[in-house]
Amino acid sequence: MAAKIHIQEGTATYRKYRIAMWTCFIISLLLVAFAYVDVGTISIGSNKYNLSLIRLDKAIAFTIAILGLQVVVGYTGQIALGQSFFFGTGAYLSAWLVADHSWPFLMTLLIVIPSCFLIGMVLGLPALRIRGLYLALLTFGLAAVFPSLVKLDKLYTYTGGAGGKLTSNYKFVAPSWLPFDEVAQGLQKIPFLGGYFGDGPLSDREESRMWKFILFSIIAAICFWLVSNLIQSRPGRAMRAIRDNETSAATSGINLAATKTLSFGVASALGGVGGVVYVAEIGIASPDDFSSLLAIYLIVGLVVGGVGTLSGALIGGLVYALIPDWASSTQSISFLPQRWLQGPTGSLILGLLLIILTLFLPGGVVTGWRRVKKRFFQIDSATS
Amino acid sequence: MDLLLQRVFDAVTNGSTYALLAVAMVLIFKATTLINFAQGEQAMLGAFVVLQLWDWGIPMWGAVVIGMCFSGILAAFLERTLIRKFDPTDHLPLVIITLGLFLVINAIAAIIWRFDPKSFPELFPSGNAFAINNVRLSWYTIFAFTSCVIVLFVLQTLLTKTKIGLAFRAVSSNIESSRLSGIKIGTTLQFGWALAAAAGTLGASIYAANPVLQIEPSMMLRALILSVTAAALGGLDSLWGALIGGLTIGFVQSVVVQYIPFIPNEMSLSAAVIVLLIVLIFRPSGVLGTRAVERV
Amino acid sequence: MRPPILRVEGLKATYGPVQVLSGIDFSVYHQEIVVVLGANGAGKTTTLRSISGMIETRGLIEFKQEEIGNLRPSDIVRRGIAHVPQGRGTFPELTVQENLRVGAFIRVDKDVNTDIDACYQNYPVLYERRTQMAGSLSGGEQQMLAVSRALMSRPQLLLMDEPSLGLAPKIVEDLFERFVVINRDYGTTMLIVEQNAQLALSIANRGYVLESGSISVQGTAENLAQNDAIRRAYLGA
Repeated sequence: MAAKIHIQEGTATYRKYRIAMWTCFIISLLLVAFAYVDVGTISIGSNKYNLSLIRLDKAIAFTIAILGLQVVVGYTGQIALGQSFFFGTGAYLSAWLVADHSWPFLMTLLIVIPSCFLIGMVLGLPALRIRGLYLALLTFGLAAVFPSLVKLDKLYTYTGGAGGKLTSNYKFVAPSWLPFDEVAQGLQKIPFLGGYFGDGPLSDREESRMWKFILFSIIAAICFWLVSNLIQSRPGRAMRAIRDNETSAATSGINLAATKTLSFGVASALGGVGGVVYVAEIGIASPDDFSSLLAIYLIVGLVVGGVGTLSGALIGGLVYALIPDWASSTQSISFLPQRWLQGPTGSLILGLLLIILTLFLPGGVVTGWRRVKKRFFQIDSATS
Repeated sequence: MDLLLQRVFDAVTNGSTYALLAVAMVLIFKATTLINFAQGEQAMLGAFVVLQLWDWGIPMWGAVVIGMCFSGILAAFLERTLIRKFDPTDHLPLVIITLGLFLVINAIAAIIWRFDPKSFPELFPSGNAFAINNVRLSWYTIFAFTSCVIVLFVLQTLLTKTKIGLAFRAVSSNIESSRLSGIKIGTTLQFGWALAAAAGTLGASIYAANPVLQIEPSMMLRALILSVTAAALGGLDSLWGALIGGLTIGFVQSVVVQYIPFIPNEMSLSAAVIVLLIVLIFRPSGVLGTRAVERV
Repeated sequence: MRPPILRVEGLKATYGPVQVLSGIDFSVYHQEIVVVLGANGAGKTTTLRSISGMIETRGLIEFKQEEIGNLRPSDIVRRGIAHVPQGRGTFPELTVQENLRVGAFIRVDKDVNTDIDACYQNYPVLYERRTQMAGSLSGGEQQMLAVSRALMSRPQLLLMDEPSLGLAPKIVEDLFERFVVINRDYGTTMLIVEQNAQLALSIANRGYVLESGSISVQGTAENLAQNDAIRRAYLGA
């Protein structure tokens, strides 16, 4: 067995390790972006699987929403099943501002974030009085009700009713000073792999997509950074204390009401941001995209990634954005009758993942990954 | 006035079916304080099994009974393999498991039977018992309601007059003392799950047997939310509360919503959720329930 | 001499990271009343819970010369041990009568009703309240019910955890008188954990004192009652 590499926190080696990890990550991100700026297809057997920036953008939207769930479920231990409500609220609010008032998408975040935060705090008030399953019930009900709320005739001018609100008139235009064409053509010169990066300079549409992807990634990165700081701050420690044992937390002097309210607010705000990214990507906000099924799928993402981890949100977002789609693209597997592959195999897989992971690997993919990493790297804390 | 009466009959019809599903949820909650989010899907699967058996030529009510047994056995299996592995007081993993089951069962039903609506056998005589002016009281309404009440009586008897019923209530009341009295907790809970599933399947079958409805895999999602509200309203650990809750929700849906002018039709589901909200905030033990709620 | 009905050797029990019992040895002989004394947290309740199978333990627990350490509570009850937990452990939502029936759960014979009648004779107040929910009974009544329920399984060994807790002195006296009667008339062996050392020692044959998970003193009831250390600690003398 290979010897472990020991790294001490706080030393120069540790800093180099972190920088190396992050650089790898950013470079891979850029490579993926350039490779899939147009729809890329992977073929396995007779099945074709699509991967594109469109999918990845959706993944980012879900990731941000799941990040919110990490805050309220993973770190504060409250069973909140209503994230789709805030996702949808953010989406519709943003869509309305963009479509009816010609706001640029990014600016709508200025409205969406505080609104969702406030709504989350207000709706979180019942959570102060009830716990556990009753809270789960309530939040699930909220999620279930969202599509009907949005379809109300009274709100038609704002929401576009059952048809939804179109925002596709808004175009994301990449600033001209960004060297997309140069980088793309540089990548195309790489021997062997160059072909993956397309042919010639990027078209306007492709540049727009690249730009969106980079923008959304930056938004996501900012969210991660903020949440990471929150977790390590005093309110964050209070949240974790509540998760571990609410009564002890209360007796240690933690203000349960304030912490929980903060937690709900942050989670809802993140849900809203995710919604904005979502509608910015697909160009329309329609009611049935934000049903209670979405709420359940976001939980799937939360659990598969790993409850209580930040990177789990990223895994979760990818899982939800890719698996149902790839499952329905699977037209034939040699040993399964074709009949079985039609129908909602995506949700079947997600449901099975949920059950299997909860049974065998409650920490999700991230925990499994960390265990693997531990075989090769050991990070010692600064005091050992 | 006629319209009101008609609407009341509609309320009774719907309310009875919500009540049956609510009863299923109450059974499980009573014993384990768990809310089984997959209850609706289990019921729906059972109803589809009934449909399939009927398609194969088995007489209607025979199919229903077999379907109920199938549901019960499946539920017992699920309890043994999945639910029992977890600490009953740790709610998060259990909620997640039931959500997973929700997805899996829904997907399996859709894969086997597709999403096209199908006709369910008419379990009750069609037509109306009486019709005066424009008010029609269909046989379906009468039978649906009566079935609901009969089921409740049967469950009540089972729980109060049989040994396993006593064990079930003992486990619901004090799990540690039940262990010390020699009651096998796992087996007793399995019984509860099986019973709940059978009740749910019967409820779904009666619901689907409504001459104006057809059966398809997503039919129970709405019913789940309505019946959860019904159960909470009646008191999550009260069987008769489930009936009251179910009828109330049916009433809210068919009557109240129609008569309050600014609540349009699509809001009937939302109206139910608002009721749920009010119940959970102001009287979490519901109308007839007794369990102390988890309060902070 | 007959071998003990209960023999415990090297019993270890942990509660999370804390080792509550660090290897204790004791025995209880047929028809004895044995008392376990000790401060809170000494491990008294853990000892009883180890015997009735409610927690996992290491070491030897022999009942009627058969190893029971690994059995589940439902099997241990069937072997003839009944445990009245701390705080009574009644079923609050069941009626008094139903509580008694649950106590007889493991029995398949026809004498259950006779035993219920006997219980009502001993405790007429329970007969009066037989259709009331157990949760509405007073503390003393619940304790009577709890003991009666345990007796319904016709145990040979009765474990009781702090039966006097929270009860008025007169009620406690009556309770303990009854224990003596039960022991004499039915031959039920009793292992009683108590804080009320004086009363407990007055009805017991022998006793053990637990301190921080080990037995510090043991002996006959008279010896213990006269032991200086115990008098100071528990009898206020």
